[in-house]
Parts: sequence; structure tokens; C-alpha cells
Amino acid sequence: MDNLSDDMIVCRCEEVTVADIKQAIREGARDVVGVKRRVRAGMGLCQGRTCAKLVQQILCTELNLKPDQTGSSSARPPVRPVSFGELAEGAVE
Amino acid sequence: MMKIYDAVVIGAGAIGTSVAYHLCREGMKVALLDHGDIAGGSSSHCDAVALICDKEPGIDTTMGQASIDLYNEYADKFDYDFEYDAKGCLYICETEPEMVAAERYAKAQQANGYPLRMVDNKELCEMEPYIAKDLAGGLYTPPSGAVSVCPYKVCFAFTEEGKKLGLDVFTYCTIHAIRLNPADHSVESLDTSCGTFSTKRIINCAGVWASDIGKLAGIYIPVQPRKGMNLISEKVSKIVNHKLLEFGYMMSKFDDIQFKRKVSPLVEEYNVAFNLEYTKASNLLVGGYRGFRGFDTRSEIEAMEAISERALRFYPCLKDIQCIRSYAGVRPFVADHLPIVSDVDDIPGFYIAAGHEGDGICFSPITGLLMSQIITGKKTDFDISPLDYVRFESKRS
Repeated sequence: MDNLSDDMIVCRCEEVTVADIKQAIREGARDVVGVKRRVRAGMGLCQGRTCAKLVQQILCTELNLKPDQTGSSSARPPVRPVSFGELAEGAVE
Repeated sequence: MMKIYDAVVIGAGAIGTSVAYHLCREGMKVALLDHGDIAGGSSSHCDAVALICDKEPGIDTTMGQASIDLYNEYADKFDYDFEYDAKGCLYICETEPEMVAAERYAKAQQANGYPLRMVDNKELCEMEPYIAKDLAGGLYTPPSGAVSVCPYKVCFAFTEEGKKLGLDVFTYCTIHAIRLNPADHSVESLDTSCGTFSTKRIINCAGVWASDIGKLAGIYIPVQPRKGMNLISEKVSKIVNHKLLEFGYMMSKFDDIQFKRKVSPLVEEYNVAFNLEYTKASNLLVGGYRGFRGFDTRSEIEAMEAISERALRFYPCLKDIQCIRSYAGVRPFVADHLPIVSDVDDIPGFYIAAGHEGDGICFSPITGLLMSQIITGKKTDFDISPLDYVRFESKRS
């Protein structure tokens, strides 16, 4: 993980780079949610499905943590994007 | 080594970070403690506005306006961008009886000098082109009394600005005990997972956890968790110009305001009131509901359905917009709907700034300022005796 360039995009939905994530860690983020809240990694359409693992790895490298110490964003419905129309009809289980 | 501070603030949410910042401004050496991250609790699980038009006339509105004025000032002054946006607010009235009730409310606020005014159906549709066309009208609050901010960024902003003034932050720090002087019960120290803090002042800003901190000091603080929930949309173009709420929201907030909406049993059951805003990140936040579920902050599918159903009534175009996430949090509820911003007579040096329910973000700046005035013995900007903890002291368990 030491060879990631700072301008590499980690969260594609919100266009968050390695440098942004390192900055969030400098500002006190210690886990995936702390990074998310500071720089929006994982707040986009895919809800962190793509970037969460990578964010976790950067946290582990920067803070010398084990993966299970970096937490995860809480699981929340909907599991995939669903229209408000479908939701209102109760079509989602 | 013993850590020595003029004041220790417990809770790094919208209230605690503001209190810490305002105390630093008075030249005090301050430590800010939280059991998790900054903005890890209610302040990152809420919506994003500061309004005067969801307040009862009187001290509630006075605090709201004072806080909005401070947000306006800090948006210019702070280096940390907390996404201040003076967008104005529309309270939507579905029916004529709601217009009548809203007008009565508007008159009471106008009498105190606040520039609220009624808009009819035509003006409402001009102000919000995508709104349903069959609504009676609305109550408009101009940007001077209705702004939005990013709630967790407010916490980061106060923290970062505080650090410039010497604030020390201890996150992921658990408090084990609060020690009082055996002779006069005054605050002496705290034992924590980050060591012992010696201090003569503790400010309990722990929101829904304020009663737990109170217990450590041997006092009863009647704050309960009251759940809320919002849905987040995919990124969309700007189809909402103002903060939008239905006037029925007042009913769900103040149980004593009487008027009956024509809504489905599901909407009624979940106490859902339409609530919509467009964020700087181009998402829509769609809410909202109030319920007592203890500390259970799981998303309830039925509540999501009820929120969506109610939202479509006012904003039909949401039908084809995707919801990408839900979130839920707990508001620090106090039975009389007023926060506690106060010293505690029995414990010299122990202060409480908690119980803001759904107004924590709105009241954040003014609460910090008022608390700094209380602690430094200055005259508060206005009479805050209704916020005094003394109103609960006689009911101690």
C-alpha cells in the first residue's frame, strides 16, 4: 500500500483521492466512517462498495491498525438504489 | 501525568464543539472529550438547517435568530467551510385550515419583528416549480431566518477553530468517574481512559447521553432519545430551492398544536411530516419522522415507505428519483421542548448544555456563546432563565 500515488482516485462516486483520505486521517479520522464524514468517501451511489476496502487499507497503513479495527459504515437500506415511487408503494422488502 | 485544564467539555457534537470553541475564545485552557469521534452521534444523523420558523414565539425563536446570526458571522470568519447556505424556508400548507393556523403563527412572529409572510398557491408554485400544484399555499421565511449548514462540518469547524486557540481534543475517550470535592461538592477531576483530568469546570454536552454523564456526578438529567430518520437521493439537478417542510411538521414537533391532517394510517403511525432539502453535494434529503425507540437507530423499512409516500404528495417528481441510502439518529428530547443551558446549584463547576432535541444544529452557536457567558460570569445576551436546570432539580429521582 506504500506505492499508492496521492492523486489516485479511491472513491469513484465522489472523486476522493488517496491524498484526501490521508488528510482526513490527519484531521483525526480513525475508521471508515470517520474518513467518510470528513471527505465523503463512500457517500456516493455505490455507498462504498468499491472503495471501503481500499479506505480500510489506507487507514491500516497510516495508523498501523488491523483491518478489524477500522470499522465499517453501518449497513442501511436500501441495499441497492430504488426509486421513491417504488418505496412509497411498499415494493421493497 | 495529570492533565490540568480550566474546563473539560464532554461531548464533541454540535453543542460540545461550540461550547469548547467559545470557552477557548475567553482565553481558557479547554479539553474536549468524546467517547467516539467528533460528530459521531446525533450531529451526523440529522438534517441540516437552522430555522426560526419551526420555533415557538419567545425564547425559542430568540435563540434561533441569534444562532443564525452567529452562523452568518462564522461562515465568513472561519477557515473551515461548513457549507453555510442562506436559502430561506417554505412551510407548505396542504389545506385551508393549515393556512389559517400558519397565518396565526406568522402573525405572532411578525409581532416580534420577524419577517415571516404567507404565500398563496401561485407564488408557491413560482418559488418551487416542481411542487404539487394543488396545495393551499405556504409560510415563507426569508434567508435571514432560515439557513442550512452541514451539521458534522459545523462540529469539525468549531473543533479546528478551537484548536487554533489551544483546544486539546481527546476522542475515543471513555469517562469512568467524575470526582467532587467531599467538602463542598465542587468539581475536582475526571478519571478517563485517556488518564486523569484535573479541572474545576465540567460542561456536560453529551446530548442523548447527558443523563449518563449526570449519573456520574450524582444528578438526574431528564434527556431521552427521540428517533429521526431521513432518506438520501442520488445526485440530481437543483429541483428544490428552499428548505421545505409541511406545516403539519409543527404538529409532530409540538404535540400540543391541534389540527388533523388527512394522511394514511402508515404516515400517521410513524409521525411522518414531509421535509425536503437540496444539499451542497447535490443530493436531496427527504424526511422525516419522530418516534421513541430507545437507542435503536436501525432504519425501519415501514418508516421509509411512509416518508416516501408523504414526500410524493408534495413533490411528485421524486417518483422516479433513486433513494441511495437511509439514516437514522436520536434527538436529545426534553419533555418541555426547551434545552438545558445552565449551571447546577448543588455542584459548583458542573454545567449542562444538552437536551436540544431537533434544534441542536440550529442552537449550536448561541448555546456555546451563552455557556461561555455563564461560565465567565458575564451577563447573558438575553434572559435564559427558562433554560435553567433548576426546573428539574425538584423532580430528582
